[in-house]
Amino acid sequence: MSPAVEARGVRKEYGGLVAVEDLTFAVERGQILGVLGPNGAGKTSAIRVLTTILAPTRGTFAVAGVPNTRPADIRQQIGVLPESAGYPERQTGSEYLRYHARLFGHGKESARAVAAALLAEAGLSASARAPIGSYSRGMRQRLGIARALVNEPEVLFLDEPTLGLDPSGQRQVLTLVRRIARERGATVLLSTHLLGEVEEICSRVLILNRGQVAAEGTVAEVSRQAAAPQSARLRVEADSVSEAHRILAAERGISAVELADGQPGTLALTPEDQQDTTPMNGALCALAEGGVPVLFFELEGARLSDAFLAMTESS
Amino acid sequence: MATVERTARPRAWAIVAAQELRDLWLGGRGLLLSLAFSGLLSVLSYLVATNQALNFLEQRESVNLTLQVAIAVGALLALLAGADAISGERERGSLESLLLSPVSRLQLTAGKLLAALSLWVAALVLTIPYVWFLGRGVGIVGDALATGALVGTLLALFLVSLGVLVSIFSGSNRVSLSVSLFVLLALFAPTQFPTSAQQGWAGDLFLRANPLTSGEHYVGKIVVDGHSWSQDASWLASPIIAAALFAALAAVAGGRFMRLSGEVSR
Amino acid sequence: MMRRRLLVSASAVFFGLVPAGPAASSSNQIAVSVDRTAIATSLGHKFSIRSRIANTGGSAATALVAHLNVLSLRPDVYLDPEDWSSHRTRYLPAIPAGGSVTITWRMQAVNAGSIAVFIAVLPQSGDPRPPATGPTVHVSIARRKTLNSGGILPLALGIPALLATLSMGLRMRRRASH
Repeated sequence: MSPAVEARGVRKEYGGLVAVEDLTFAVERGQILGVLGPNGAGKTSAIRVLTTILAPTRGTFAVAGVPNTRPADIRQQIGVLPESAGYPERQTGSEYLRYHARLFGHGKESARAVAAALLAEAGLSASARAPIGSYSRGMRQRLGIARALVNEPEVLFLDEPTLGLDPSGQRQVLTLVRRIARERGATVLLSTHLLGEVEEICSRVLILNRGQVAAEGTVAEVSRQAAAPQSARLRVEADSVSEAHRILAAERGISAVELADGQPGTLALTPEDQQDTTPMNGALCALAEGGVPVLFFELEGARLSDAFLAMTESS
Repeated sequence: MATVERTARPRAWAIVAAQELRDLWLGGRGLLLSLAFSGLLSVLSYLVATNQALNFLEQRESVNLTLQVAIAVGALLALLAGADAISGERERGSLESLLLSPVSRLQLTAGKLLAALSLWVAALVLTIPYVWFLGRGVGIVGDALATGALVGTLLALFLVSLGVLVSIFSGSNRVSLSVSLFVLLALFAPTQFPTSAQQGWAGDLFLRANPLTSGEHYVGKIVVDGHSWSQDASWLASPIIAAALFAALAAVAGGRFMRLSGEVSR
Repeated sequence: MMRRRLLVSASAVFFGLVPAGPAASSSNQIAVSVDRTAIATSLGHKFSIRSRIANTGGSAATALVAHLNVLSLRPDVYLDPEDWSSHRTRYLPAIPAGGSVTITWRMQAVNAGSIAVFIAVLPQSGDPRPPATGPTVHVSIARRKTLNSGGILPLALGIPALLATLSMGLRMRRRASH
């Protein structure tokens, strides 16, 4: 079975400005792909090309098995929440969804049923007959996700779905997205610059930087690709910091010992070999033998945020 | 994927038009514009009927005046609605959602154009009682309304298409409305030329080429001078050509060039 | 002289024109006559006057200009001739000896009251000789109110009121359903 989304050498230029350069990747059906990148990385341009809003300057792609030469057929198979989606303020949520359901080919009764079901799924049933102008930002985002589902798409594109939302709103949206992916089996492309979202719900990650693919893979693979530094944090009594520092600095396999942010007495240790954390054992033993009690110890593995920063800042 | 009742794709323009009509009329904007229009006609007809200074007008001339004002203002309203059709959606951020539907750009354009024309239809319907009152007793009501409907519809179709065309290529609603109004004013300007400038073969050609002045002339000949419909039919040429040409241009432009703005928020 | 006047009168009758009568004066060889000297009409109506400019001399008359004059016979009525007729000056072709030119002057009764109209013919050279003038045409214009002004009010107020009511009703219905 062909991938849900497949891009080969996709390029998008605006005059002399290259927004997307040589975008090549594939997403299997049922996966949730997080598309990461700083501002100006080309995330929205990439999504707009894949959703047929913009024509690529070069390259080919296919969505749900439909090639880019048939954009109308692609639109029939996808649902999209654009980054800066606007809504008709005077329409009610129900009317809005019924309209879009009809545009996707539903009859009047079918559209009514679909709208009611989607509003319930998005937690908007109570506001179905209220004008969209009275909706909060979080409600509008959920309405936008509901609209993206009117045609029961095979692939769902969500461009910054939690943008501008408070933590509670972000939580609601992410919960909805996770449920949609699980219950409907849809493939989801989630564009965001919030790394926590990606770590939480995405099975794969695509990092874009300056229009190019910087990394692609699972969260763990991408983290390792960047060779993100591993480190440890420990805390001792405040008056034992200098003694602990002396003991740890002399320990083999530890390349750096520094005072860390946080509670007084917190130290950060960096191993010489990023893949080998056994020197940490020796460090703990050395502290115990030196009569310095360790109040807290944490070994920090490679994090996506570290990989992201390493990949986007280095270039 | 669940089985759902599907409508035939060619009716997509009807779905778009129906929603646009609901937004325009049930949303209240259409009624307010019609209220303003009827207020204007009420003031005009009251002045004609009661003011001694204006009362030398024959009934035919008063009917003609009312029709000309109704056509001009009704077509203006349709132009404004057309000018808002695409650039307004673009500015409100709702164009992308429409472009993401499987409806073709051509059908989107057609649906919006038809909905914008409804403002002219409403203006025409509202004009009927005024023309009936002013023209009763001299046997011109039927001819006047039919002529007004014909010329007004041609001009409204021309102007709505012009508005939609400008809207497709305008980055903002302000630009779209400004350009559309400027073109309309330029088309109305010849009506203010002195009589001497409108005479001679050059003046005649200029008046005939301009669909607004040409249509106005035709209505006047039927209503005021009592000419037959075919006697001055050549004056209908430019309104017909303008309506057909600009409707085609709007359809082609909508189908090929309707885009989001070029700016991208990444 | 008597025979000449009879000939002029006969030709005027032949052409269906009202005899000029003693009121018509001629400058040299030009005689101006009109089809009627009294017109009764209503305010706003259009009418026309046909004038005949005859060359009674022995040689062709060239470079003449005819002008339509309109004035109110009452001092309290202001009248703008331009409102009555927009084409009041006509440059005549050469009139052969014994020939004539007929001009139709189209006018609209813009003011009510008692109006005088006459046609003057003078040379384009600006010769100080008195122009040839036709007889005065007396136009009586009656006031004409063709519309029942009282009947317009229900319409003028009713339609906007109906639309305003619809608009308010729609707004209330929208609020109630939300």
